Amino acid sequence: MSALLRAELLKLRTTRTFAALIGSALAISLLVLVLATTLGVYRTEGEARAVMAGDFTGLFILLLGAMGMAGEWRHRTITSTVLAAPDRLKLMIAKALSYAVAGVVVSFVVTVLLFLVGTIILNARDQFTLDASTLVDVLWRNLVVAAYLGALGVCVGAIVRNQVTAIVGLLVYSFVVEFTLFGLAPDVAKFSPFNGAPSGVIDVSFDGGTANFLEPGIAALVMIGWVALSFAAGAVLLRRRDLT
Amino acid sequence: MATVEVRDLSKRFGKVEAVKHLSFDVEAGRVTGFLGPNGAGKSTTLRALLGLIHPTSGTATFGGKRYEQLEHPSASVGAVLEDASFHPGRSARNHLRVLATTGQHPPDRVDAVLHDVGLTEAADRRVKGYSMGMKQRLGIAAALLGDPEVLLLDEPTNGLDPPGIAWMRGMVREQAARGRAVLISSHLLAEVAQSVDDVIVIANGELRAQGTLERVLGGDDGPATEVTAEDPDALAAALADAGATVQRDGDILLVIGMTPGQVGAIAGRAQLTVLGLAPRARSLEQAFMALTADRRT
Repeated sequence: MSALLRAELLKLRTTRTFAALIGSALAISLLVLVLATTLGVYRTEGEARAVMAGDFTGLFILLLGAMGMAGEWRHRTITSTVLAAPDRLKLMIAKALSYAVAGVVVSFVVTVLLFLVGTIILNARDQFTLDASTLVDVLWRNLVVAAYLGALGVCVGAIVRNQVTAIVGLLVYSFVVEFTLFGLAPDVAKFSPFNGAPSGVIDVSFDGGTANFLEPGIAALVMIGWVALSFAAGAVLLRRRDLT
Repeated sequence: MATVEVRDLSKRFGKVEAVKHLSFDVEAGRVTGFLGPNGAGKSTTLRALLGLIHPTSGTATFGGKRYEQLEHPSASVGAVLEDASFHPGRSARNHLRVLATTGQHPPDRVDAVLHDVGLTEAADRRVKGYSMGMKQRLGIAAALLGDPEVLLLDEPTNGLDPPGIAWMRGMVREQAARGRAVLISSHLLAEVAQSVDDVIVIANGELRAQGTLERVLGGDDGPATEVTAEDPDALAAALADAGATVQRDGDILLVIGMTPGQVGAIAGRAQLTVLGLAPRARSLEQAFMALTADRRT
């Protein structure tokens, strides 16, 4: 399994897509943070926490995971991948783990950079800043969500297989369907896989604290449920499919 | 126990029965040609051997084990499949590094196989800039990475230039000389005839013949007759109805499976005028075509 995991991480590092998406995650996260901390007013811990938790890695690692798995079919590399690793269940575990690990590593770098830049700007503007223990609390929550979304992206890619459909579907579902659901049925939306449950773990609401998210522990269990369900569906399909 | 054993293998895709009760062996130290026209079921059989498709029935094993049951699959079996594909944004070296890591092969095997297939200088270029022949060589490099005991090559000469084809022939002979079993599929007999010891001929998913190249395709010519007639269409139909395989070259009919006397008798019964009639020995290619021609049931 460790060899498979190392191979999947090597795959990730040896294409430009990975660098481009991670660079985008870093650039957007920093841009939003700089604009928010430069223009906004932060008088409470909740407000400062909300801006410091603005790591966009989750979105990009979700897309990257889906692209990584569905791309095996798009580029027809699934054949050589399965020849090298005939146990398709182990292959999918390794793939999901590798994108979870990548999510953690990238989210760590992005979040720490956000802390550094954000703290400098807030300090300079004499705004509220977070202490070290709060920053650590924000950090691990970001890492958990990035790991979850990386694995979930792989599972979506295994189910959908068509790379374009997977990416467009994820974007539409995340930004249109789930956000609409938040407006129409917030008690249902808080269980949703891409925004609802992760927001419960991050423990920062979109609207400054009025939204009703799940408790972090419950949200984590819901996330485990989503990833287990989608992994099972993806693994069954991957094992049954003939690679013609 | 043979190195590669296929027993009563069948595979159905919906209504199409791609492979029908196929059985054959491939022995170590020999190059075996797996021959048949396009759509005969060669790729399906190879993919069943490699665990990529699930057989409807039957088994396909290496030393009695399915591919996925082998302890180190890529160190036991190397495969080049017809549609070998690579991530276009990854270099050849990185593609092989990924496979070497997965298969737990020594890292220095990457440079060794790149050298063996003549891709050392292009190793760090992204694959999307490769020609078809270079991609084919990269596929072969990937198959050789684990220094496997068995090589399965599906139409490996596709995209190769004449020097590449010559290199391929030398490579498979060298592998067999080292005691490896090589199964090489092709729809073009001429491309493999110079390098194979044994042949397995299939058509419409069925085994048509197997054995040494000489015995299957060279030694049993059987009768064949060249005939010209006033109404070649009518004569061709009459001969086909009588069970002969008829190939047409302009006005000349090549009748495989019948002597001139038999052809003349059929023409006479059909009251067709024959203008010329001569026996003709079949070439290797004609024998192959006769074996793989559609059969009436």
